[in-house]
Amino acid sequence: MAKKVPGDYQKLKAEGRYRIGSDIPTISFSEIGKRGVRRLDGYEKASGQAIYTRDVQLPGMLYARVLMSPYARARIQKMGTSKAEALPGVRAVIRYDDVEVKDRMLNGCYFGPEWVCPRLAGWALKPIHPVLGEQAWYEGQPVGAVVAADSEDIANEALRLLEVEWEELPFVLDQEEALKPDAPILRPGADSNLLERPGQSIEQGDVERGFREADKIIEFRAKRNAHLWAGAELPSVVVRWRGDNLEMWVHEQQAYHAKMLISEWLKVPMNKITVHSPYQGCSFGGRGNPANNSENGMNILAALLARRTGRPVKLLYDRRESFFGESADMMVGHFKVGAKSDGTITAVQMKNVFAVYMGAPGIEHFIDNTRIPNLSCETLTVDVSKGPAWWCRCEQLPNALCLTLVFDHVAAELGLDPTEVALKNDGYDGRDTTELSKYKREHGFPDRDSLKECIEAGKKTIGWDEKWHPPGTKRLPNGKMHGMAFTWSHEWDDTRGTGSTAVMIENDGTVSIIGEQSDIGVNPWTAYCQIVADELGIRYEDVNIKPFNLDHGFALMSPDGSANLCSNGEVLRKAAQKAKKMLLELAAQRFEGVEPKELDIKDGIIYVKAAPEEQKTIKEAVARAMPMFASAAFWTEPPVIAWAWHTQGVWGRALETGRPRLCRQAHFIEVEVDTGTGEVEVTKVVNVNDVGKAISPETVEGQMYGGTYMGIGRALSEEMVWDEKTGVLLNRNLLDYKYATMLDCGPIETIIKETGMGHGPYGTCGVAEDIATEVPALLGPAVYNAIGKWVDEYPITPDKVLKALGKT
Amino acid sequence: MKETPIDKPEGLIRLTVNGEAYKLQVKPNWTLYYLFHDKMGLTGAKMFCDRGACGSCTVIMDGRPILSCMTLAIECDGKTIETVEGIAAANHPLIDTYVKHHCMQCGYCTPGFVVTAKALLDRNPNPTEGEVKEALAGNLCRCGTYPQHLKAVLEAAENLRER
Repeated sequence: MAKKVPGDYQKLKAEGRYRIGSDIPTISFSEIGKRGVRRLDGYEKASGQAIYTRDVQLPGMLYARVLMSPYARARIQKMGTSKAEALPGVRAVIRYDDVEVKDRMLNGCYFGPEWVCPRLAGWALKPIHPVLGEQAWYEGQPVGAVVAADSEDIANEALRLLEVEWEELPFVLDQEEALKPDAPILRPGADSNLLERPGQSIEQGDVERGFREADKIIEFRAKRNAHLWAGAELPSVVVRWRGDNLEMWVHEQQAYHAKMLISEWLKVPMNKITVHSPYQGCSFGGRGNPANNSENGMNILAALLARRTGRPVKLLYDRRESFFGESADMMVGHFKVGAKSDGTITAVQMKNVFAVYMGAPGIEHFIDNTRIPNLSCETLTVDVSKGPAWWCRCEQLPNALCLTLVFDHVAAELGLDPTEVALKNDGYDGRDTTELSKYKREHGFPDRDSLKECIEAGKKTIGWDEKWHPPGTKRLPNGKMHGMAFTWSHEWDDTRGTGSTAVMIENDGTVSIIGEQSDIGVNPWTAYCQIVADELGIRYEDVNIKPFNLDHGFALMSPDGSANLCSNGEVLRKAAQKAKKMLLELAAQRFEGVEPKELDIKDGIIYVKAAPEEQKTIKEAVARAMPMFASAAFWTEPPVIAWAWHTQGVWGRALETGRPRLCRQAHFIEVEVDTGTGEVEVTKVVNVNDVGKAISPETVEGQMYGGTYMGIGRALSEEMVWDEKTGVLLNRNLLDYKYATMLDCGPIETIIKETGMGHGPYGTCGVAEDIATEVPALLGPAVYNAIGKWVDEYPITPDKVLKALGKT
Repeated sequence: MKETPIDKPEGLIRLTVNGEAYKLQVKPNWTLYYLFHDKMGLTGAKMFCDRGACGSCTVIMDGRPILSCMTLAIECDGKTIETVEGIAAANHPLIDTYVKHHCMQCGYCTPGFVVTAKALLDRNPNPTEGEVKEALAGNLCRCGTYPQHLKAVLEAAENLRER
């Protein structure tokens, strides 16, 4: 049994490895937090000018397509490629037994195949799949052959001409079925489908004691079926060789990681690899998996084909193929909860059985977020014949589901208002809110009750006190049943980001941020420019970033782990502060008898603090500070350019490093359930997020809207449906796999709280991942409140509602 | 060396695209999306769902929004077509209100929304909220920017009426 041990954060703090404590800004905000700042990527995206990887075309470029297994589990016995090779327009076929790929596995974790982050990645990072093998572990796995041809059509035709003799093998789809003695063992040499994983169980306190102290014991089961992130831009990559230099256009949210991995796999030195990261059509945490065929694997295959043909190669997936490798995990949970009649929870015990595990066991939000002293979580990870999962907005889905269901079951069983149950159990690591207050005061944070503030704001906006009712009691004039629900959580993690950048003052006085970053749509670049503008004392319009290439050496933290702005805000701030110091040192020479420290900058004008009428423009200060100039008759100075690096926190959970989460979020929903058809309609959503500090409020709201729509889709209609007889996925398209559309949600009210209690720069914390992770869980309690019956399987499709109502 | 037989020319079509006349040789299996995106460099139309489910490849043909991924180019002889590139070049107020109201996150589906909204405003300069929602309901946005589109389209309609 693994016991979570708080780390020695005082030591880390003393070493300056990262800041623990409030961040009191040293500047006044002019651009930061302002509404109406024009987003940097807006025009390109609205006008169709924005270029994505899939849009890239190079002279002489070939199109590549890869064969994928049509069976849930199968092996190629024999494969003939001669017909495919003879097709006019086919330029190369790489077979699974060709020397380039034979017995070569996907990279796995960069720090070595044995290095698997015990608490997070689980088996997902292990290099268990070949780049192009003969054995398919799941339908849709690239196997057998990859083809490059003059057009996509010819490449597809070549795949059809491959003569493959398949040996179909027994498969198993359900994780609980896979644990039964008669289930086929999927991995050679294994004696069970249970996957070995360290840290599978978590125990805190003594749950048996907690159950004895309880007035009520509540037991239930819940199941979460598979959904996938299904990004807008399909997987694609473009590769060309220039001599022994490799040039790539990637659809990867961690372009630097892609460079490291392909260097490692192909043995091409990193200084010979150029990586371009054009705009990215969604990612949500995907597009970065080193051990996934549809990510790192396709980059490798494209590079091999480009080398063999001497031509640029674009490797493409179609929508059907993208359904394998973009999935979230699947979970069956068994819960036992003890609670006192006032709503105080005394013990939570859960056993969660996962397939294609993302890494969150289900118990962590109880540790990070509550005062519940006795917790127990047993996690089983089971191999099934389904495509791999990867963190997708986000791996906290099990944690969010478990917390929501436990709290709402307790409120329902005890006849309490769920907002009261939340307030009663708020805290961290088994400690109550007085301990949180103490921590806040000791570390310079304002001592605000974030959960209470969020709940009060949300209740008022949705009209909770007027509308809340016992389950199954409110029939509306339209004949439908009205339901409401509430859930809550802490701020999202900010502790897993490293980034670097340079800030350069150009000769005309404008400012460039230099650093690669893959854009997946969270409008980070606007925020970076706002930060640099305020730190330097210049206008937002005078700052720009063009982060589409890695060759200058700097790479900003990718949009992962809700840590993008928490990490990069610090990076940008550090670099801007260094650049400002350099700029003022240079500028002082332009004034008479003035020291740099006597100067400051406002609205882009450098002035003497004691005599503000004495001014120089930035352009005047840097006119001769230039990277190059071809004249011997002209005196020049070194350019004003400063770089910085920052890592936000230590990999792992916040509590391990002594940083309890201080900000909270609360979400409220109203539904109408048609008891005749089983259809659930969401009529109102209120999201309240304490983001600490909103650098770009409209961007925060965009994440709240977007997360809500994604969450509603996941809760009500998004489900990967497998055929039990054949093991193949039945709905591999966006007509049958249903996102929420504009019509699928009533009004969404977004409320931003800014308590300044985030651990990120200027007191900010993450917001982009959490709403899509929190909202799906809400639909279960909302439907319960409407019809008085629990639907314990997600998504909550009409058939399950009717079943709960006893109508099927 | 393999010999590649050259396709016999077939499928000459005439198109007016964003106000300019084109004479184009197309293969019978080319979609309008493929012609625009891969052959004419009009990459604003996007391949997202791959089969007529998402609206990201929308263009306006003879006044109607159509899915270019589901339309064969060879059947479009004589048609007049407007793409997002043309709408942006004409400085349509939608472009500005789309930026102002943050109607994009990753931005991949955004051009499809702009084109669909433009077609709506062409035939209905004064749409209600419900009419905007209905017009855009066939466009998928994985980032979930939907509420912002409503604001942008209504404001663009107002700006157009004031012009």
